[in-house]
Amino acid sequence: MPTKPIIGERLKAFQQSEAERILRACTSCGKCYEVCPMAQYAKPSGEAKSVVPGVLAVLRGERGTPEALGWIGVCTRSGLCVPACPENVDPKMMMRLARMTAFGGRGVAKQLDAKEDRDYFDRVRAFAKLQLTDDELKEWT
Amino acid sequence: MSTSANVKAVERVTFWYGCNVLRHGDIIHACLDILRAIGFDPAPVGGPDYCCGTAKDANQTTAGGMATRTVGKLNDRAARVVAWCPSCHSHMHDFMEKGNERRFDMTYMVELLHANREKLAPLFVNRVPMRAMLHKHVGFNDLVPVNRMMPELLSLIPGVEVVDAGYAAPGYMCASFGPLPAALQDIHANTLRAAKACNAEAVVTTFHQCFREIVGLDAAGAIPVYNYIQLFAQSMGLPYEDEYKAWKRSPEAAKEMIGAERIAKVGIEFYERAILPELKKRPRV
Repeated sequence: MPTKPIIGERLKAFQQSEAERILRACTSCGKCYEVCPMAQYAKPSGEAKSVVPGVLAVLRGERGTPEALGWIGVCTRSGLCVPACPENVDPKMMMRLARMTAFGGRGVAKQLDAKEDRDYFDRVRAFAKLQLTDDELKEWT
Repeated sequence: MSTSANVKAVERVTFWYGCNVLRHGDIIHACLDILRAIGFDPAPVGGPDYCCGTAKDANQTTAGGMATRTVGKLNDRAARVVAWCPSCHSHMHDFMEKGNERRFDMTYMVELLHANREKLAPLFVNRVPMRAMLHKHVGFNDLVPVNRMMPELLSLIPGVEVVDAGYAAPGYMCASFGPLPAALQDIHANTLRAAKACNAEAVVTTFHQCFREIVGLDAAGAIPVYNYIQLFAQSMGLPYEDEYKAWKRSPEAAKEMIGAERIAKVGIEFYERAILPELKKRPRV
């Protein structure tokens, strides 16, 4: 009897392989943190070379340092870290995966609270009703 | 000359507009008219049933399910996808297509317009006199160089003079700064400061997520704010009205402007709890 595919299985496998690649490639030189325009908003802030190992710990499923979690929490995908990385790690991907992990989205304990808008989709649907005709709603959404 | 040579080739495309742009029906409608005018036959799709899942970082099972569903629906349409939303476009590139088989070509709207700028330019028949500063972010440009393409596109509009004070905000769009109010306040203040520094008469956003936030500067009387599609529509003589901005400028009168029939569709309780506070929100600058 064929087994039912697990929802998001391939996506999770991709994320895991990316996390492992990043953990192998990153040397914690801190260049990504140095060029990040959001690091100034991280609380608590830290020294570049000491913050990145905490991010890698999160990627391994371990507890991140407060400084690493502070930086992960303010990442908004500026992407300046990508060309700054001397090892082609893709720190933007590193931070995104660390964010998913810290939010508890990848199967390990949550370390950061994701500030989700409980009305997000209902608000989208409401604005759609205000802005589109009934026929458009039926055919487009 | 043969008859077939006179028939313009029309490419059928799926216009994947995303979720949050549903706040701006004028933008969606104008995009469709613009696409048709430059030789495409767009089928619009979006809303929560076509969500990319990028907002579900805290639940990758849900995000994975949403990605599979949406890629499957877009595959079924068997046409090139033109993405409007930068979040959807980058999430497709970074994650969705890595966990699912994508069987369609994909283009970002700005990229498509830029590639078709020779068809677009003659359609800009009305002057839009304006010294306009593009509101820029440092992100997303590695995927689509919007900060280079947008000034080139805006300059096609008669009367528009693109000015620049060299400011680019962090991140890739403003809406992701919702949980970071101090950073968003800095973006508002720096955007306004930059606009004044280059004597801009208006700020123009590339993304609707930025328009939704930056239009607060317009509502507060600091500087007029537009999305680029609205300037394209003005120059092309398209009739769409920016209702969101009108509601945002006068939140106390918004209920009357929307009208009882439309309010009834969403419910007065939801309107007052979830929509009105957004319309009342103003930047602190």
